[in-house]
Amino acid sequence: MSKVTVIIDGREIKAPAGRKLLWVALENGIYIPNLCAVEEYARPPASCRLCFVQVEGREKPVTSCTLPAADGLAVQTRSPRVDRLVRTAFELLLSDHRLQCASCPANRACELQKIARERKLKLRYGRFPYLQREPAPDDSPQTFAFDPSRCVLCGRCIWADQEVAKIGAIGFSRRGINRSVTTFKDVALAESPCNECGLCVKACPVGALYFKKTAESK
Amino acid sequence: MELLEGEKEQILATVDAILNNQPLQKDRLIPVLQRVQAELGYLPGLAMEKIAAAAGVSAVEVYGLATFYNQFRLNPPGKHQLKVCMGTACYMVGGQIALESFERRLGIKEGETTPDRKFSLERVACVGCCTMAPVVVVDENVEGHVTPTRVDGILLSFEGEEGKTRGEAKSPAAVESEAKP
Amino acid sequence: MSTATVAEQYRALRQEAAAAVEALKQKPVVWVGTATCGVAAGALKIKEAFEQEIKERGLDVAVLETGCMGHCYAEPMAIIAKPGHVPLCYGRLDEGLVHRLVVDFLDGDDPGYEYALVALEPNDLFPTFSDFPRGVYEEKMILEQCGFIDPGNMDHYLARDGYAAVAKILEMKPEEVLAEVKAANLRGRGGAGFPAGEKWEACRKAPGEQKYVICNGDEGDPGAFMDRGLLESDPHRVIEGMIICAYAVGASRGYLYIRAEYPKAVERVEGAIARAREKGLLGQSILGSGFSFDLEVFQGSGAFVCGESSALVRSMEGKMGIPEVRPPRLAESGFRGCPTVLNNVKTFAYVPAIIMKGADWFRSTGTAGSPGTAVFSLVGKVNNTGLVEVPMGTTLRQLIFDVGEGIPGDKKFKAAQIGGPSGGCLPEAMLDVPIDFDSLQEAGAIMGSGGLVVLNEDDCMVAVARYFLEFTQHESCGKCTFCRLGTRHMLDILTDISRGKGSLESLELLQELCEDVRDGSLCNLGKTAPNPVLTTLRYFRDEYEAHILEGRCPSLMCKDLIVYYIEPKKCSKLCNVCVGSCPTEAIYTRDDGLKAINQEKCVKCDNCLKTCPVEYNAVIKLSPPSLLAEKEGKSK
Repeated sequence: MSKVTVIIDGREIKAPAGRKLLWVALENGIYIPNLCAVEEYARPPASCRLCFVQVEGREKPVTSCTLPAADGLAVQTRSPRVDRLVRTAFELLLSDHRLQCASCPANRACELQKIARERKLKLRYGRFPYLQREPAPDDSPQTFAFDPSRCVLCGRCIWADQEVAKIGAIGFSRRGINRSVTTFKDVALAESPCNECGLCVKACPVGALYFKKTAESK
Repeated sequence: MELLEGEKEQILATVDAILNNQPLQKDRLIPVLQRVQAELGYLPGLAMEKIAAAAGVSAVEVYGLATFYNQFRLNPPGKHQLKVCMGTACYMVGGQIALESFERRLGIKEGETTPDRKFSLERVACVGCCTMAPVVVVDENVEGHVTPTRVDGILLSFEGEEGKTRGEAKSPAAVESEAKP
Repeated sequence: MSTATVAEQYRALRQEAAAAVEALKQKPVVWVGTATCGVAAGALKIKEAFEQEIKERGLDVAVLETGCMGHCYAEPMAIIAKPGHVPLCYGRLDEGLVHRLVVDFLDGDDPGYEYALVALEPNDLFPTFSDFPRGVYEEKMILEQCGFIDPGNMDHYLARDGYAAVAKILEMKPEEVLAEVKAANLRGRGGAGFPAGEKWEACRKAPGEQKYVICNGDEGDPGAFMDRGLLESDPHRVIEGMIICAYAVGASRGYLYIRAEYPKAVERVEGAIARAREKGLLGQSILGSGFSFDLEVFQGSGAFVCGESSALVRSMEGKMGIPEVRPPRLAESGFRGCPTVLNNVKTFAYVPAIIMKGADWFRSTGTAGSPGTAVFSLVGKVNNTGLVEVPMGTTLRQLIFDVGEGIPGDKKFKAAQIGGPSGGCLPEAMLDVPIDFDSLQEAGAIMGSGGLVVLNEDDCMVAVARYFLEFTQHESCGKCTFCRLGTRHMLDILTDISRGKGSLESLELLQELCEDVRDGSLCNLGKTAPNPVLTTLRYFRDEYEAHILEGRCPSLMCKDLIVYYIEPKKCSKLCNVCVGSCPTEAIYTRDDGLKAINQEKCVKCDNCLKTCPVEYNAVIKLSPPSLLAEKEGKSK
């Protein structure tokens, strides 16, 4: 693949043509918030709406996970418009996330905490009140548990289950505000085809899927 | 919901007949689910598993489809289906009032079926009969200008009826087998 | 394969059809409108009644079905065409009138002018459509035959030169067909108005052996039924448009994606496809030209989001209807990854006439930027509800007050909701905006697929905005953060306001959130979801403020801000209708015989207000509810 030069926050960076800008930035130590991105997707889901950047010459921010690197492409990872959208998206996600960091198995390894730190956003409910939909956790597997009240619907666990481990125990179901990660007929994971390979747990950027051992040590 | 022995066999036979021993292309999934529901009145788990296996996809993927689309039902419907239109025109002239009247009269909420399985109540986005708003689709018949009084009239028209179906109920066989204890 | 074969084959088909139609004209024919709206109004019973009465009298009269003429306010309707008389259309039929018409007109010779709505041909006795204001403004390019032919009988379409455009293009080069559609500047009628010719050209140029043509009949806008009307009333026109498109782009397969909620449209289109196939107009080597194209119906399973093109295609592939990032566009990578053209039902319907009459003819109607006509389903608080087709550039005022003949009763117009959940509410001051893609967008609404709901003073704009947000919430696929959660919080804020619990700060937050959802959402469903809120905030802010600051719903619609009250001065004492109508026994008779409402029990179902006889009109609504104490104090 031919190499092109892109400019991120004023830095000239060489990258393979067509590679999505999010990955170019992350590899070069430039952080852009993201939750749903998996590089192997043929078509990025672009669902979390956190990785906005400002492209020179374009009015509205665009998601960097869908932005192919092209010669001379110049972007800013921050701008007032980018910051406004990222803040709103982040606060919206928090409003449907049970915030109890101290007792969360992902405390200090959580992507939401990282975004808050990097972008100086508050880790508490702000403009949008907590929706308090607290679906029951599933701790039926021996080694891990799933707490959907912390799930941000990034879909990384489903990618790991369906495309990497090729098990097919979990998937998205329902739609709209009720969209969720579930098993077939919402049965407990222990009754699903899950073989506890643990790949989905490792893929989870927050504390929705966690190993029981980690939780005990907290 | 527990299935009886006879029901299991009926479900499997129905799905077999529709699949006809052919491998199922993934892009025929939705038409096949539609046909199964047309026959059985809903999508039993057993049917979804069998269809998933035929298409070579995981059962949870079929479950995703069945829960994504409005059309699919995971539980057997009531003998009579009441669909209250919530299109703009209907809403503005009392669609919500008609829905609430049904809810009050039947003692169930939208999306539910009465305990005796006689009625199920749904809201639908728009049936395209806006000029007769508010509209309720009763089984296959469109009823226009539905006021709370008309709601009572519609329900009264089914009173005293036993085992018969008005209009074309999708699957008398499935309905009757559901009516057993 | 000589080109003469195509023309010859077509001529033979057309002659055969014309002969059959001519034979029909020799005896009286009753045409009953049996599109969904007609059936809902009882058209099937009317048809049976005609058949019964005719049989009883042993008359030689054909009773046929036709589609929707667009005059839904007058359903059920029928046309009687009797040799020696001008064909007449009758509306609001009932069994008694049917009896009268059969006895006096079909058996006798009295057409019963007093019952007729309109004559279908110019004559000295009775007005035709063009004698009404509606007829003056209407110009029918695609609805021309709806309601006048039997959609189940292909001869009717063929006899009126149907499929002549297919015969014509098969003797043209695909590039020439493309050039004609481009020259016409036909803009997609699905909502956004993207030029169809450009779409087709991109698909034609895209590399790939297999290409697809898909017709989007997933009409999901609540308050719109143009596509259903067209598919039910004139399905061959859409099919013909699709064949022409397939020829122009080089596609061999096509699909009509129709909502499962439209069973009648599905049935009629499937029948039309089968008959077109029998006559060699679909399938292998159409009219012996060597060009092959076939069609099938795909039934949508009920998801508004599938109106979005990438979601529609995903659902056809057996997946959830979830929009994807573009590019790639469908013209490059669509159904099964192949180049695909996806257009709305109406867009395809314009194509045959453009081919036969030329791009200049098409462009001579409408505006420079938006040529042709606009089709609306005109519903809500307007006298003449129905399907209308007017030239682009007609103003909303003409559409509502001339074509629609204004607002029923003595009520005042408040707003025109145009474009459904993606559109907006335009106030009186915007009524002179010409209807075209660009002007409506500037006003904050969109053309959408053509739903137009007229609202009057009884309609609360907060409730309208809330209604659309509830709809969007229900229909959002849930994939992206802004649409899934953003619209939820918008809905929560609106719900609070409609309950009198809002604040001016929450109004600011609502505005901000709307802007972010518009800018941040992945697909057009999310990007346009704030439009109903943004337009009502822009044009009807005072109503929001009345809810927030005074706890008052000016339109007396928001349930939490109203109470029902029976005016003692007007109540008759002797009448018990309201007591009987109350589902919760909230209404009681006071010692003095007057009726009164127990507010604790009242569920605000509106029944007492509706049933109180007009001569009393004693039941009224009060807002804010605090007015009740004042009223009750006075009455004591």
